[in-house]
Order: sequence, then structure tokens, then C-alpha cells
Amino acid sequence: MKVDASLSTNLSAAPESARKLEALGYDGARTAETAHDPFFPLLLAAEHTQRLQLATSIAVAFARSPMILAGIAHDLNAYSGGRLTLGLGSQIKPHITKRFSMPWGAPARQMRELVLAMRAIWNAWYEGERLQHVGEFYRHTLMTPAFTPANVSHGPPRVTLAAVGPRMTEVAGEVCDGIILHPFTTLPYIESVTLPAIERGLRKAGRKREDFEVSYGNFVVTGATEEAFAVSKLEAKRRLAFYGSTPAYKGVLDSIDAGHLQPRLNAMSKQGRWDEMGELIEDDVLNAFAVVGEPREVPGEMLRRYGAFTDRTSATFDAADDAERAEIIATLRAGTG
Amino acid sequence: MKVDGSVGWDLAKVGEQARKLEDMGYNGIMSAETSHDPFLPLAFAAQTTSKADLMTGIAVAFARTPMVLANMGHDLNALSEGRFVLGLGSQIRPHITKRFSMPWSHPAARMREFILAMRAIWANWHNGEPLQFTGKFYQHTLMTPFFTPANTEHGAPRVFLAAVGPLMTEVAGEVADGVICHAFTTERYLRETTLPALERGFAKAGKTRADFEISYPCFVATGRDDKEMDAAKDATRQQIAFYGSTPAYKPVLDSIGAGEMQPELNAMSKQGRWVEMAGLITDDMLRQFAIVEEPANIAQAFKRRYGDVVDRTAAAYGGLPKEQQADIVAALAA
Repeated sequence: MKVDASLSTNLSAAPESARKLEALGYDGARTAETAHDPFFPLLLAAEHTQRLQLATSIAVAFARSPMILAGIAHDLNAYSGGRLTLGLGSQIKPHITKRFSMPWGAPARQMRELVLAMRAIWNAWYEGERLQHVGEFYRHTLMTPAFTPANVSHGPPRVTLAAVGPRMTEVAGEVCDGIILHPFTTLPYIESVTLPAIERGLRKAGRKREDFEVSYGNFVVTGATEEAFAVSKLEAKRRLAFYGSTPAYKGVLDSIDAGHLQPRLNAMSKQGRWDEMGELIEDDVLNAFAVVGEPREVPGEMLRRYGAFTDRTSATFDAADDAERAEIIATLRAGTG
Repeated sequence: MKVDGSVGWDLAKVGEQARKLEDMGYNGIMSAETSHDPFLPLAFAAQTTSKADLMTGIAVAFARTPMVLANMGHDLNALSEGRFVLGLGSQIRPHITKRFSMPWSHPAARMREFILAMRAIWANWHNGEPLQFTGKFYQHTLMTPFFTPANTEHGAPRVFLAAVGPLMTEVAGEVADGVICHAFTTERYLRETTLPALERGFAKAGKTRADFEISYPCFVATGRDDKEMDAAKDATRQQIAFYGSTPAYKPVLDSIGAGEMQPELNAMSKQGRWVEMAGLITDDMLRQFAIVEEPANIAQAFKRRYGDVVDRTAAAYGGLPKEQQADIVAALAA
């Protein structure tokens, strides 16, 4: 499997961060959209690396018009020599409507159309087709030569989609080049919900699994020292408790018969009892979400558990030093633990 | 007088272009939004320059939400250590609705609200004020620490607004830090329409003219010999005829008593008679819209006409040799 790592969104740190990831042997660098724009760091990373693949993971799709996304992704892909993956996510309704002041419709349908709208725009730019996207959520019917990029030799970027529920997952399979699984997922959920939904999407579009990338960053609990291991375990339990409090993710807990935790976690989150919430996550629940072990055991266990379906991983893991980290990356890339 | 120069869209070249412009003495580096994103080039320019303002000239505001622009503006201003100027323009309805698939209505009122929404977001990030912006066109009421930038030492970028009509110009005076006048402007229009509208905006906001910058990228027809000069005059006539065919710009033609040309130019444009259209622009009209001078006289002529009104300019003498451009920039700055 390919191995990705997070790129700093601090723009003064991004170039050095990107160079280091490339030197360590990572396949790709990814930016999340939280307090900063997710595209600028990738531009600087492109300038300072040669082969590192660059991805947003994720950019908030519904915060932007398909035309804006198509344009900035085109520019980054052309400049990086075809190294961009535009990873998109829906965010949730309050953030789209109250933070970004943009409309929220039926998320899976809207996302499908947004991706198709971008593809129609790219077809107009790269293939000279007339732009005529008239959909339920987006209409793009005007494009003139003055607004058409000329540097089209690298074609469109890859588009991937973050998805949890079966409908969004099916959309990824149908219209995207890959899916970004949520770290809050389990093997039973992936096997019973995610992979079948991807297959349905691929079938709709007449595509094959090998044309599609599954990106998954499972939880890893590890540490170069006893102390680091304990911290890693505590943090993982707290993050699991945080995600587990979300009603939309109850299905994931159900997959390991732990659905009863969701209402309890949710109630505690409303009382701000974040530290206690982590204590509700027993070790067997932790083990269902996380690979737990010594740093050197991690890649083998990841490959054993997830190797069959994971094309690229974004798992973050502690290592004693750069040499050990590079070794773990190499083991994951070789695909044999 | 500050002078701005433009970089192109090719991201492999813009860093070096910006460095050269700064070396020639340009005070600002501008990027336009046509077939490419206008922000990415300025991220590179921020790294290769140290003094120049970095400005979008312009970014299409209504193609985006205030939150996305506030965020990009914040990041570029932080990266450039306070040198970013977010230059905005409305574009026209068909481009917003049919190219960008975004809403269009009441452009001046919407733009005013757009800029105020960004300022509310920045006040939240930079000064910790609650985000509670509930306007007619935009609502921003949700912000959490997780989505709040921490690198706030350079504060908010300046905001300039491109405006032609009196309503949009008044909005610029009221809520922006500067106005970007259209190159298709005459001295009379600038003095009799633009300035009074800005003053109305200043009065509303309790600002003074000193708090504000007027940017006017005037047409310049120049050349080092008769042949170059004739070619530059023809090219400028062509541009004047093109803009003059636009119904929204008729008031600018009216300012020099040439308003009756607009429908004629418009009709000809629909028949594709571009060369003939340029032929309608008389020498007198050309001189009302453009500085027509040999390179050595450009700065003096521009300052004579606009020195008391314009704070910054950008003009198309980019075709001249480096030394000659540097001389013009220096003479304008003096």
C-alpha cells in the first residue's frame, strides 16, 4: 500500500515539511481544511518536491462552487505535473449553512452532482466540449476562451471523496477516483457496508475496482517508549469516544455490537465530560478500531488486517527515529509484513 | 504615486516575474482572475518579494463565499507579513450565475454585505469578537476554535473594490480600503462621478480621503518610434471601442459627450466588426481615455492630469525595456 502523511498548513513550515516527507519515503502529503486554506500548502509542497503526491483530505466541497474547485485543482495539478488529488468531503449541515453561508441539499446527491459538474468543466477545458451542465444543484452553461486555461497537458486531477454512509460511499464508487474512509470505522463495517457500496457505485459506472483507490487511515496505538504508548492509547480512546458520540456514526459502533455506547457518549459530550468518555472505550472496542503494538509490529498487522482492500494508508504512527519510520514506510509499501 | 505591475498565470514563472517587478521599483504585484486562480500566484510572489503589496486585481467576489475569501485573504496576508490586498470585483450576472453557478442580485448592496461579512469574520478571528453576521445575502453565525487561525499577528488584509457605477463606488468608499477604477474611465468621469460617490461613502462611514486609496490603471499608448506608437494607439482604440460597446459603461462615454456611440458600438460588436469599431474612436477620444506620450513623458503627463486624485496606478508599459519601465515607475513615485 502507498503511505501518506499530513502536511503542515502553516505556510512557513510547509516547504520543509514536504521535503522531509518526500525524503522519508512517503508517497503522498495531504492537507486538511480546518483553520486554513487547504490549497496553498500543496502549492508550496509542489515547489519543493519532485515526486510526492499531493492531496486535500479533505477540502470542504459544498463551501465552494464547482467552478472554483475545478479551477484551483486544475492549476495545482498542472503546476505539480499531475500530482494533485482533490479530496473532497461534505462537512455537516451547520458548518455549510452557518459557517460558510452556502446551501445544503441532499448531501450524497449534491456531492455526486458537484463532482459531475467539475468533470463537465474539465471536459470543456481539456476536450473542447461545450459546457452544458444543468443539474438539480448546479448549473454551468457559460465558458468562453478568455476563461479557459491553456495549460492542459496534465489533464484533470484525481478526485476522491470522504464517505461513511452507504449512499455517499456509492457516489464515490460511481463518480470518483477513490474513497477516503473515516478513521472511525471497523473491519466488519468496511466489509459489510463500505466495500459493497463501492462495488454498487463502480458497477453503475461500468468501472473496475483496480481503477479506484481506497484510502484508509486506521487508528494506531503505539509508542517508542512505555510512556509514549500510554499517551497514544489514552488519546486514541478519547478520539474514539468523541467520534462515537456522533449520532451519524452509530452504525459503525453497531458493527461491533457497541451501539449502546453512542447515546451514553452523546449525553456525556453534552455535559462536557470529555475525559471520562474515553474511559467508556474498553480495550476490545479499541482493538476493533486500532492496530495496537510495538512500532515494528504495526506495519505487519496493518497489512494483515487491511492490506486486502487498502490501496493507501494515512495512518499516523510514532517511531523511535527517522530510520525506524522510513523502515515502517518501506514495509507498508512492500506489502509484506 | 504607487505603481503596480502584473504577473501572469504560469505558476512556474510568477515568482521570478514578481521579483523582477519589485527590483524595477514597482510598489505592487497584481494577479488577475481570468482563466486561472488569482491567489496561487501571489503565494509565490510573497516568497520572492519583501516590500511590494500583493494584490488580486481582481478576484471575483460573488463566485465565492465571504468565509472562503476571508480565509484565503488571512492566509496570504500572514504569509506576506501584511502585504496582501484583497482586490474584489462583482463580475456581471451571466458569469456569476451561468459560469460559477452562484447567486446574483443587487450587486452593490450584496457587495457591501460581502465585505462586511468578511470583516465580521476577521474581527472574530483577530479580535475574538463573537461571529454573529446575519445579513440579507450572507449569514455567518458559526465559528469554533478548531476553525480559527492562530497566526493573527498581521491582522486582516486590506480590501479594495473595483467599481464603475456610482452605487458600487459609494460602497467602496464606505466599506473598502481602496477603489480600483476601470481603465475605461475619463478624467471628467473620475472627477464628476467617481470622487463624489466615494465622498458619500466616506461620509457614511465617518472616514476621510486620507484613509483610502484610489487605484486607476490608466490606458497608456506609448512607443519608442512612430511605428510602435501607431500600433499602441490602434490597440488602445480597440480596447476603448470594446469597452464602449458595453451598455453599463455608457455613462463613462456620456462624460465626454460621446454616449450616443454606445448603441452603435454595441450593434457593431454583435456583428463582429471589431476593426471598424476602433475606427470610430477619434484621436480626441483616445486622448480623453489614454495617456498618449513617448516613454519619457508618460509619468509627467499622468501626474499632471491625475496627480491630485490617484494614489496608485498600473499601466501597460510592461512592453518597454526594463530600464525604461524603472524610470517611469521612479518618476511616478517621485
